[in-house]
Amino acid sequence: MGLFDKLAGWLGLKKKEVHVLCLGLDNSGKTTIINKLKPANAQTQDIVPTIGFSIEKFKTSSLSFTVFDMSGQGRYRNLWEHYYKEGQAIIFVIDSSDKLRMVVAKEELETLLNHADIKHRRMPVLFFANKMDLRDSLSSVKVSQLLSLEHIKDKPWHICASDGLTGEGLQEGVDWLQDQITQSNPNNEDLRR
Amino acid sequence: MSSSSDSSSREGESRSKWLDAHYDPVAGLNTLSSCIALADLHGDGDFKMVVGDMGHGPYNMKLKVYKGTARMSENALLDLPTGVAAFLMDQNEPRTPAIAVASGPFIYVYKNLRPYFKFTLPAMEVNALEKEVWDQAKEDKIDPVTLKEMLESIRDKAEIPLSVRSLRFLMLELQEMEAFVNTYKQQPLKRQTVITCMGTLKKNMADEDAVCCLVIGTESGELFILDPEAFTILTRVSLSSVPTLLDVTGQYDIEYRITVACRNGNVYILRRDSKRPKYCIELSAQVVGLVRVQKNIMIGTSHETLHGYSQKGKRLWTVTLPASIMTMSLLEQKSRGIQAVLVGLKNMEVHLYRDKNLLSVINTPDIVTGLCFGRYGREDDTLIMTTQGGGLLIKILKRTAQFEDKDTAPGPPTGQSIKLNVPKKTKLYVDQTLRERENAVAMHRVFQMDLYRLRLSAARAYVKALDASLAPVSSTMQEPLTLNAAVQGIGPQFKLILNLQNTSVNRPSMQLLISFLYDEKLYKIKPAFFKVPLLVPGLNYPIETFVECCSDKGISDIIKVFVLREGKSTPLLTAHINMPVSEGLAAA
Ligand SMILES: Nc1nc2c(ncn2[C@@H]2O[C@H](COP(=O)(O)OP(=O)(O)OP(=O)(O)O)[C@@H](O)[C@H]2O)c(=O)[nH]1
Ligand SMILES: [Mg+2]
Repeated sequence: MGLFDKLAGWLGLKKKEVHVLCLGLDNSGKTTIINKLKPANAQTQDIVPTIGFSIEKFKTSSLSFTVFDMSGQGRYRNLWEHYYKEGQAIIFVIDSSDKLRMVVAKEELETLLNHADIKHRRMPVLFFANKMDLRDSLSSVKVSQLLSLEHIKDKPWHICASDGLTGEGLQEGVDWLQDQITQSNPNNEDLRR
Repeated sequence: MSSSSDSSSREGESRSKWLDAHYDPVAGLNTLSSCIALADLHGDGDFKMVVGDMGHGPYNMKLKVYKGTARMSENALLDLPTGVAAFLMDQNEPRTPAIAVASGPFIYVYKNLRPYFKFTLPAMEVNALEKEVWDQAKEDKIDPVTLKEMLESIRDKAEIPLSVRSLRFLMLELQEMEAFVNTYKQQPLKRQTVITCMGTLKKNMADEDAVCCLVIGTESGELFILDPEAFTILTRVSLSSVPTLLDVTGQYDIEYRITVACRNGNVYILRRDSKRPKYCIELSAQVVGLVRVQKNIMIGTSHETLHGYSQKGKRLWTVTLPASIMTMSLLEQKSRGIQAVLVGLKNMEVHLYRDKNLLSVINTPDIVTGLCFGRYGREDDTLIMTTQGGGLLIKILKRTAQFEDKDTAPGPPTGQSIKLNVPKKTKLYVDQTLRERENAVAMHRVFQMDLYRLRLSAARAYVKALDASLAPVSSTMQEPLTLNAAVQGIGPQFKLILNLQNTSVNRPSMQLLISFLYDEKLYKIKPAFFKVPLLVPGLNYPIETFVECCSDKGISDIIKVFVLREGKSTPLLTAHINMPVSEGLAAA
């Protein structure tokens, strides 16, 4: 695959388009992370809490991502489900320093994974245990424990510790996501079980 | 109806609404609802919790600040805290709230968690006699024993109570007195009261982030309202007892209402314009919780009851609780505009009531003594509970939680208590009722007499009708007959059809005649006399005749039909036919 991808890239062939949902509680760092994934010249400096949602695009070596960066504020969380159908992968961001709201993140994750538009689809879920730079943040292992990620059986998932401000850990996650999409989804079709 | 299934369904109910965010059974927090405040102390949207910790015994009293699940800082306090409040003192940027801690006769104000200002309650008048006695002691004119005797006599009859110094002196053993007098005699004698409760009152704006005045109640039975910047006393009100719980609403400059529960078991409601309490609620028990929900006041008493009162002090309802109340607090879910009252009970449950409806029950691992609901961290609907054993319990109300307004407590259905819209009694109605009440016997007699008369005349008319066989149904057993008549045509010619039927089972009727009685000036009937054929039982015999109306004046009359037996003059039955007006002739 690598060779073909590189060839395609060199020849300027069209990359595969993937729609990704970026979800997680407010202040977890979703917008910061997406911003960091964009090419340096397209990044913004000041990041404010998202209202509703915003659509961002970035490219990796073989894929072209369209990201729905949803607002995580309680009053906007009921918007999420309207975009589940369109999404082919999920990025779920957790503020690993917010121990108090780990239960809330867990609750929202459970609701999300049990939603009719998600439940029976084998879509990859990438978790970012964000804000790993903060002194009182939990490790990615602890976060996955608190969210009971081991219970997710029918979807490929991956968690990595990240720092949205420096970009640390983001590449690892995105590489995993790209692999998942290109492997399980070679014809760019949404495989339903 | 086993209690275990009951409690497990309750468990499910509470789990469907609340997320368990944190529980530290050994947080070492010994506090009450009035000493917990939530505030965005650093202006970063991450709300902190400020707790006035009463420590253990007379030591270790502290002001603790929590961020999320961890303690962030603590400051020592000199005396027991009786209230903690977060409030905005001024319009300066950044708009971060200050913390007020009421403790003894002081209010300590912290800004950015650093001591900023100390307010002291004004000193009170000292008993003149007491002062004189101490002055004499100062000049060594009297010895401690005499001092003690004199103070005791003052204590027993004076109007102005003794100062704390004298009271402490009176508690001492003989050998300690000398030293005590020597230590204190040089200092001026002061009498000071202490703060018992504290609340905040917005100055002149209704906004969430408006500048607030502090409202304090004191052991001397007074209420003070303090200016937020200068800490001058804006208003001072005397009460007839010691205030213990406060609720404040409104704005100082416009209109406000202070509801205050006192140690004498009364709740007073004060308004801006009145120097004295406007309303008074007298309860037969001590008030242990006071919460305003919208416009109503919820009062918890030591008798395991929760009362709802209107803002004018009218009782609306009462609920009996399964255990004693430990503490009460308001639950306000701003996103949905829901307000309800949280009641911490001694049986390790926290009940949530909206009006008298029990919305939710939370089981707790220990007795809850402190309750506070609001935005904490970044979560709007967080419930903070501190327990008797010093534990800290934090629950978060689910985003999807729905409170059904149905009455989960056993008892009469809600429909029973819905007030019907009964119209007001008019004066006429009242007069009438009075008259009826006074003259009931006479009225009854008159009614009875009229009733008997009515029955009598009805019976007479019936007998007469029977005697004359004036009814269209014959009553004699031998000749059961019915007759009905129909008139056809519009005149002047009418067709009269008489339907005659023998209703007996098997006896035919014979030798019957039909004749008519009518006004001969008005009608001509031909033929006006029939011989009726044999009537077979059950069959209908139509008998026709023609009636001609001879008047053109548009008048009509009754034609009487008689069915007779040959040789008898009393008819078997009679029918009255109301003739229609002859329209044909009138038109011609
Ligand atoms: N220390 C630290 N701060 C971070 C990190 N990632 C994001 N932040 C900060 O967290 C805050 C919230 O970041 P956002 O990207 O706006 O969060 P969000 O998830 O998009 O929030 P909503 O749009 O409200 O849902 C910002 O102040 C960021 O600077 C991180 O890895 N470490
Ligand atoms: Mg955002």
